[in-house]
Amino acid sequence: MEAVAGIAALLLGGLLCFQLLATGYSATVADGAAAAGAVAAVRGESVEAAVHKALPGWARSRVSVRRAGDSVSVRIRPPSPFPVLGNRITLTSTAVAKSK
Amino acid sequence: MSGTTQRLIVAVPVGDAQGTTAAAAIALLAAAGSRSPAALIIVGAERPRPATLVAPVATRDLEGSIAASAGPDVVVRSRGRLCVVNLKADDECLDSLAAIIAEVPEGIPCALVLPPAVYREVAAYGFEPDLVLLHVDSDAGDATAAVAELAETEACGWATEVEVLTSRPGRLAGRLALAGRAERKGRRVRRGRRFFASESGQATPLVLGAIFVLVLGTVALVAIAGAITGKARAQTVADLSALSAARSMKDDLPRLLAPPTLPNGLPNPVHMPKYQYLARARLSAVRIAVSNGASPLRVSVSFPDSFSFAPVRTKVTVRSTVKGVGFGGSSKDWAEARVGAPVSMGAVPSVASGGGYSGPLAERQGQGMRPDVATAFDTMAAAAGAAGVTLAINSGFRSDAEQAALFAANPNPTMVAPPGQSLHRCGTELDIGPPGAYGWLAANATRFGFVQRYSWEPWHYGFTSGPEPCSAAGDMVGTGDPGNGPAGSLPSFVPKQYRRAIMASAMKWGVSAALLAAQLYAESNFDPNAGSPAGAQGIAQFMPSTAVAYGLRDPYDPDQAIDAQGHLMSDLMKQFGSPALALAAYNAGPGAVSPCNCIPDYPETQAYVAKILALLGGIGSIAPMPMEVELVK
Repeated sequence: MEAVAGIAALLLGGLLCFQLLATGYSATVADGAAAAGAVAAVRGESVEAAVHKALPGWARSRVSVRRAGDSVSVRIRPPSPFPVLGNRITLTSTAVAKSK
Repeated sequence: MSGTTQRLIVAVPVGDAQGTTAAAAIALLAAAGSRSPAALIIVGAERPRPATLVAPVATRDLEGSIAASAGPDVVVRSRGRLCVVNLKADDECLDSLAAIIAEVPEGIPCALVLPPAVYREVAAYGFEPDLVLLHVDSDAGDATAAVAELAETEACGWATEVEVLTSRPGRLAGRLALAGRAERKGRRVRRGRRFFASESGQATPLVLGAIFVLVLGTVALVAIAGAITGKARAQTVADLSALSAARSMKDDLPRLLAPPTLPNGLPNPVHMPKYQYLARARLSAVRIAVSNGASPLRVSVSFPDSFSFAPVRTKVTVRSTVKGVGFGGSSKDWAEARVGAPVSMGAVPSVASGGGYSGPLAERQGQGMRPDVATAFDTMAAAAGAAGVTLAINSGFRSDAEQAALFAANPNPTMVAPPGQSLHRCGTELDIGPPGAYGWLAANATRFGFVQRYSWEPWHYGFTSGPEPCSAAGDMVGTGDPGNGPAGSLPSFVPKQYRRAIMASAMKWGVSAALLAAQLYAESNFDPNAGSPAGAQGIAQFMPSTAVAYGLRDPYDPDQAIDAQGHLMSDLMKQFGSPALALAAYNAGPGAVSPCNCIPDYPETQAYVAKILALLGGIGSIAPMPMEVELVK
C-alpha cells in the first residue's frame, strides 16, 4: 500500500520536475526568439519570420509575437503534463533594440 | 521499569498476553542506553520482521557475528539498534540460544522472549537473567497464572528482579522499539512518525529519497541553466546594444556626410558634427542596454574607427555577474557591429557602357536608369500610389547589345528600334505599366518630368527635366560633376590645392571625380605624407608594388598619386563594372574580389566601401546606397 502511494508520489514529483524544467526551457527559448526578433527589427527585416525561425518546432504553435516601438515581446505557453495548468502558464520575454 | 544495567532480560507472556516482544524491546533499549546496540532473541512461531533500511554499523556487525554462528534456521536481522534473532521453539533451541548469547559481546544487553514452556526449561538450563518480565493480560484475568510463574521463578533460586506487567505497551512506543528506536520522552510524536516506524512502511524512505534526488537534480539543472542563461543574456544585451548603435550610425550617416556649409556659405542645418554622431550612437547603445535589463554602469561603448571621418563600427562591452550553485563570477561579454554595404552588392549600381549613356546606373524594380530619372520616378510612383495606382517598370536602360538581341527576335523597325537608335540606351526611358496605369500616366507624368515619347506606345515615357538623353551632361549626372566647370563641381570637403589634379585625373581616365575625391578623403584625409602600418604610402595610399605597376615613382607626390589613382580605378571599374566592387578591390586587392564578385567580408574593406558610398550618396553624387547593419563579432 505504501509502495503504491510512494510510486504515485514519485510520479507526481517527476511530473512537477518536468513542468519546472519545461517552464525554464521555454523561458530560454522565448529569450532567444525575442532577441532574434529584435535583431531583425534593427535590420529592417520581418520580426515575425525571425522569431519563428528562432523557435523549435514544438514552440511555433504556442507563441505569440507583439511589437511595440523598439521592443519585441514573445509570449509562449510551455508544454505541461497538467492540462489545466498548461493553459494558465505563459512566459513573456522582451528584447529591445533600436529599430526607428 | 527499573535499572539500566541488566545484561540479560527474559520476557514471558502469561496466558493470552499480547505485546510481550514489544515490552521486551522497550526494556532492552532502556538497558542499552542511547547508543549501544542490543540483541533481541525471540523464540517461538513469531514471523520474522524485515530489516530496516537504516541501522548502525555496530548493529550490522552484531548481526554478522550472530548469523555466522547460528544455524540455517535462525533468522537474524538488524532493525535500528536492535539485532533481532528469531528461533523456532524446538528441541535444539536452547543449545542455539546458548551459542547465540555467547556471541553477544560483553556490555551489549540481550533480551529473550520465551513462551512459558521454554521459559521453564531455560530456568533449568542454567541461564541467570538479570530481569524477568512476566507479562500478564489483566483483562483476561490471568493473575493466578502470573502468581504461578512467579513461584516458578523463585524456585530457580535466581537473585533476579522480577517485574509483572499488567498492560501491553503503547502501540507507538512498541512499534518504535521494535524498529530499534527508543521513544523520546517529552516530545509529541506525529502520525507521520508512526508511518515511518511501521514495519509495513519501509518503502517510504526509498520513495522519499528518490523524490529528494529528483528535486535536487532538477534544482541543480535549473541553477546551471540559469547561470548559462544569465551569461547568454549578457551577450544578447551586448549584441542588441551594438546593433542599435550601428543602426543609429546608419540613420545619421547621411547627415554626418552632408556638407557642413551650404553653397551660399551659411551653415548647413542638415549636417551633423562627428561628436554628435558618435554621442547619439553611444546613447542608443546605453539606452538599449538599460532597456534590456543591464545597469548603465556596466556598459561601455567604444568606436574602433573613431579616427575616421565617418566611423561605422561600434563595440559594446557588458560586464555581468554570473551566479550559480557552487560557482559564480563575473564575465565580460562584448559585441561589435558595423554599418556596411551589403556583401552581395555587386552589379547594382553598375556603370552603363557599350554605347549611349556612360555613367552610373540606379536600379528600380530590377531595371537600370540614370540616377536623376530614378529620383523622379520615385516621386511619381509615390504620387501614383497615393491615387491608388501602382506603377511597374517593364524596361529601363538597354545597352546596344541588349537592343540587338531584341531586334533580332523581332526585326520590325516599327515595333523595335534597331540597335543604336533606341532612346533606351540613354538611361532616360522607361516602359511603364500596367495598362490600367496608362490613363493616370497620360494625365500626370509631365508633372514629374516624364513625357510620352510616341503616341502609339502608351507605356513608353522619357525623362525630359534633366540633361538631354545620351549627352555628355547626362553622363555626368551620376558622378557629381554636372558640368559647372571642372573643379567647381567637386564636393566642398576637397581642399583647393587638389581640385585641379582630381578633375584632371577624372577626365583623363573617365572616372567620377567625386568618387576619386571621396576615396582620397577615406584613404588619407588628403594628407600627402600619410602612411599606414601595412606600408601604404601617400595621399592615395598606394602599396609600393602597386605603385611600381602603375608607374608611380613618388607616392608622396599628390599630383602623381592622384593620376595613378584614377588609372587604377579606371582599370578596376572596367574589370568589375561597379563602383562598390572597384572600391573593394582598391582596398583589398582584385584577388579578394574576383572569386566571389562581391565585397569580401573583411571588416576594414566593408567599412571602407560603406564610408565612400555613403559619402557619395550624401553629396548627391549617386543614388543613396542601401546600407546594412550587422554584427561583426
